[in-house]
Amino acid sequence: MRIPFARNVRLVALAATTALTLTTLSACGGSSDSGGDSTSLEMWTFKQSHVGALRAAAEEFKKETGITVKIEAYTPDDAYTTKLQSSAKTGNLPDVLEVHSDGEDFVLGAAGVAADLQDEIPDSWSGRFQEAIKGSGTVTAQKFKESQAKDSTFKGVEQDQRFSVPLTAGTFGIVYANKRKLADAGITEAPATWEEFLDAVEATHHKDPKTGGISLGLKVKSTGLTWVLQPLAFAQLGKQAYWDLFGKDKATDFGSANGTKVLSMYDEITPYWMPGSQSLTIDEADQAFAQGKSAFAVGGTFTLAFLQQNGMKADDVLAFGLPAPKGGAVPDRALGPLALTGLSLTATSEQPENAKKWMEFLSGTDVAANFAKASADLPATELGADSAKVLGPALTSMMESFEGTEETTYDPSLNDFRPPGYDQDVAGEILTDLSPLGRETPAQTGAKLRGLNSDYWATQ
Amino acid sequence: MTAAPRPTTVGEAGSVGKGRTLPAGAADTAPGPGKRSWRGTFGGEALSGYLFVAPAVVLFAVMGLYTVGYGFLLSFASWNGFMPHWTWVGLDNYADLLWRSPIYAPRVRSAGLNTLWVMIAVPVLTVMVSFPLAVLLNRARRMQAVLRSVFFLPYVTSGIAVFFAWQYILQPDGAVNLLLGQLGLGSLQQPQGWLGNPDTALPTLIVVTVWSAVPVSMLLYLTGLQTIDRSLLEAAELDGAGWWRTNASVVWPLLRPITAIVVLLNLRDSLQGFQTFLVMTNGGPGDHTNVLGLEAYSLAFLKQLRPTLGLASALGWLLFAAALVLALINLRALRSKT
Repeated sequence: MRIPFARNVRLVALAATTALTLTTLSACGGSSDSGGDSTSLEMWTFKQSHVGALRAAAEEFKKETGITVKIEAYTPDDAYTTKLQSSAKTGNLPDVLEVHSDGEDFVLGAAGVAADLQDEIPDSWSGRFQEAIKGSGTVTAQKFKESQAKDSTFKGVEQDQRFSVPLTAGTFGIVYANKRKLADAGITEAPATWEEFLDAVEATHHKDPKTGGISLGLKVKSTGLTWVLQPLAFAQLGKQAYWDLFGKDKATDFGSANGTKVLSMYDEITPYWMPGSQSLTIDEADQAFAQGKSAFAVGGTFTLAFLQQNGMKADDVLAFGLPAPKGGAVPDRALGPLALTGLSLTATSEQPENAKKWMEFLSGTDVAANFAKASADLPATELGADSAKVLGPALTSMMESFEGTEETTYDPSLNDFRPPGYDQDVAGEILTDLSPLGRETPAQTGAKLRGLNSDYWATQ
Repeated sequence: MTAAPRPTTVGEAGSVGKGRTLPAGAADTAPGPGKRSWRGTFGGEALSGYLFVAPAVVLFAVMGLYTVGYGFLLSFASWNGFMPHWTWVGLDNYADLLWRSPIYAPRVRSAGLNTLWVMIAVPVLTVMVSFPLAVLLNRARRMQAVLRSVFFLPYVTSGIAVFFAWQYILQPDGAVNLLLGQLGLGSLQQPQGWLGNPDTALPTLIVVTVWSAVPVSMLLYLTGLQTIDRSLLEAAELDGAGWWRTNASVVWPLLRPITAIVVLLNLRDSLQGFQTFLVMTNGGPGDHTNVLGLEAYSLAFLKQLRPTLGLASALGWLLFAAALVLALINLRALRSKT
């Protein structure tokens, strides 16, 4: 005979199990919770240093429009990318994304994740940005050509489509020096040439071999290549000869005399790396510099914000663009500014008009100035005559390194001279064996880089 | 706890060799052989049974079969995780990884060689450390539970945080170099850190992997040791075998099945695991500590949105095939020796 209670227990258990299962499964789906509220937007960023500044801007925006913007950060960059991938699959994207300009935005656009803003940005909006980057986020003829390559990450975009507007600007190859350590070594001015830079490093290293070197996050494999070797090679060889290093011609590529020459110059810093730099991430290397474990750090304009987060004051550092060699082809080489991050509107946003209002609000001169102060990052907006006052001496001196002509400016955003699909990380691994590991000579490294380039060209 | 009476099994005779479980008191109403009705199969008890199982089946179908099937199909496609459509490439991903691509094949070979070293060293070292440790722990008269907990600590605390802690210990100014200096063994210090020198980075990672693998292996051995019949050990003692001889000639052979399990588990982890390598070196310096699991992860998530997810999936399936072969070999070896 059955006891009814047992049946009830079983049914309750069954119902509970089913409910739990359905709850679990329903958690796999869902959509952005900002969509239902017409006065609430959501924005994601991968820059922790931007969160405070964006939230402050969001408060101002709410006062002006009544629209709330919720800012969420997902770091590091790889985690952000993974988050975007999974959220795009599950339809859980926010309204606005901070993206890496002229790369990630195109990928998102090609995938239908980012909305096309081609006819959405009037001159009154785009005219606020710095001249060199005002078109950032647009598929230019050159970018469209890149998109046609077999392994292009943004195959499918169309020329003149626009998938982001710039938020921050800057460049790589900025050297930060610890003023106190420089003074201890008898140095009072920023080195003007590569040779002077090496002398300065030699002096600080001689003063203290353990903490007088250069830190750079070489665990991120492409940093040595893109932040030091490439701007150095451009200055030493000139634009065309620098491009030719990545070409198919063996007379001028990395395996040639030119390649050996620039690799030998890069190798000159081998004795001065901070011990263990090859095991540090970019953040760890910058932290080491902020903690006084190195006298110099190589980074970008964005590094200052991180140093400040780690207790350094802007007055503690001397910042300058990686100097060019004295006898090089471009002794007055400039470091071209590029839009580092931008704002993309997601195609799934249920409030595109409000989202665009927010994006435009961030480009306002006052808002951008406050953003720059709060984040210690260079805004994409042209700040005009007051920029030096707003940005402070460190950021202003970095901006001075931008000043050059088309021929004398190293532009890190140009890629079309490299083989399509070229992976800088793999090249960076080869370079690590030269410096800091010292396991290969410049000529051997050049031969390996030539082989790598040939392989990439061959796969096209 | 249920108040229902225990079920009884009926129908042994003439029910096509399979007993059916029915509640007590229901046996007389159960349909006979060949008379199984829809109601018997799908109604009442059976239905609630199916419903109970359904959540697990649905979960497995969604989380297991779907993802496995999805991953398998992906291995024949090119995709970057964002594009609306996959590009079918057939077996190209497998061919590119194994021999065809001048970009990917050499990397897979180099990572494969590093993985092979890890697969040899980790199981061997884990057995070499965990078996003696278990034997010693088994003999401990006092504080056995405390010691067992202490030795199990690495497993409980294993995770990203521990690997970061190891990183600090192994830095140029970390605890290992400091200790060596204090002990007057400065010549053994690594000026670039233990992870910064390509000659020491892989062995160091192997040691860290062994450190995190020993606790479970030691517990398995300990469990095995406690199941050994004491009379066997006493007989060995009576025959004049000392401690060493008893362990080498009696205990070790008796624990061979445990050794097989320990080796198999560690082989699988060495083949597919990559967390330690990702956190501590990211395959560096250069590519000197790149392993196959890390290469698959890197192809999936660290290629700046290139369409390499299919390659990552193909590499994952190749690793699965290798793990399957290893498991079969291990199973065969286990059967033939026990």
